[in-house]
Amino acid sequence: MGTGISMDVETMATFPVSKPVPPRAVMRVAGIPESREHLVVRAASGDVAAFEELYRENAGRVYLLCLRMCGDPSLAEELAQEAFVRAWQKLGSFRGDSAFSTWLHRVTVNVVLGDRRSTARREARVKPVGDDLPVDLSAPEPSPGQALDLERSIAALPDGARTVFILHDVEGYRHKEIARLTGLAEGTSKAQLHRARKLLRKALTS
Amino acid sequence: MNCHEANDRFDDYLDGRLDAAVQEDFQAHLAGCSSCAGELASIRELRDLAAALPRSLEPSRDLWPGIESRISEAKVVRGRFGRHALLAAAAAVVVVSSVVTAYFVGRSQAVVVTAEPPAAVASGPSEILLASFEGLGVDNYMATRTELLDALEARKHELSADTLNVVMENLLLIDQAMDKIAEALGDDPENEFLMKQLAGAYRRQIDLLQRAVRMPAEV
Repeated sequence: MGTGISMDVETMATFPVSKPVPPRAVMRVAGIPESREHLVVRAASGDVAAFEELYRENAGRVYLLCLRMCGDPSLAEELAQEAFVRAWQKLGSFRGDSAFSTWLHRVTVNVVLGDRRSTARREARVKPVGDDLPVDLSAPEPSPGQALDLERSIAALPDGARTVFILHDVEGYRHKEIARLTGLAEGTSKAQLHRARKLLRKALTS
Repeated sequence: MNCHEANDRFDDYLDGRLDAAVQEDFQAHLAGCSSCAGELASIRELRDLAAALPRSLEPSRDLWPGIESRISEAKVVRGRFGRHALLAAAAAVVVVSSVVTAYFVGRSQAVVVTAEPPAAVASGPSEILLASFEGLGVDNYMATRTELLDALEARKHELSADTLNVVMENLLLIDQAMDKIAEALGDDPENEFLMKQLAGAYRRQIDLLQRAVRMPAEV
């Protein structure tokens, strides 16, 4: 899926070196508690301590998304770091139409997909890493064994199929949004999902 | 509804997004097609398994120090013309020897700018810097810089992340050099040598941006 990747609106909106950040006094942050809204507003105003709190709240989810999508723990750390830096740079474009975590999630997906432009780097570093992925021992279902098998099988999927499977079946994106994020046609996204599921079922039953 | 049509609606069915009439057709097809019914059950099982996977995993190391370091650097650039810019501590005259080396070879373009000394400054003395531009066409510089940043932003998706990082880092280096010069000019506003250095630095920044904007698409 290397050639079809497009940049998202948020990414396009703010070049890192940049222009004055607009006032955020009127920014609306819907659907989140008052304290978090305040945190986001403070961070958007340049408050690094507030942004660190947002980092602490979201680091695990951002890192795991990066890890699942790229398959390499050290690269995932780099990408997670990049995602937070990008989020900091783009906070001015966050209008609060969705929760901050949702917006950050989308920024992270774009960072990971953007990294894939460097195909040589990706191919040199990607490897299956099922053992690095977590198993929630408290979850009654699926069993830890099933979850680990699934993580390993996901990590072994081809890039395109893995990306679409993670975004659709793990993260809950719809094909329309996946198409927008990745630059794929919706039909291609559906085909990749079908392929991923087929490969996963085969792997899980073998 | 045939099997192909049913297959195309598995996810919408599981997500409850089929309208009533289509859902009725879909269920009628499933009732008479064990193959599609089995496929649906299998997809449902896999989706449930995937949806139950953990959503969070702490990285093996704390990423915050690296993030903090990078966003602090960004603040230097962001605050270039900000109203709360602070003067750097050192006030010595800094002779900036900037060498701009730009090379664009095929699709592996890169822009390298070295500015000596590249010592970091706490933040940009924007008022002094702006004042120091008097007589050097600051309005024109700002307008050109903004225009070029907009142009670069517009074609950002065509450039690799590595190239954009290099451009950004070098803009930052030049900004830092300009800070030092402006700082020295604050102490010695009539120093023609410093004025020339400052003019040269912002010309180099414009040159860097122009080159970046003109680069052939990489992706």
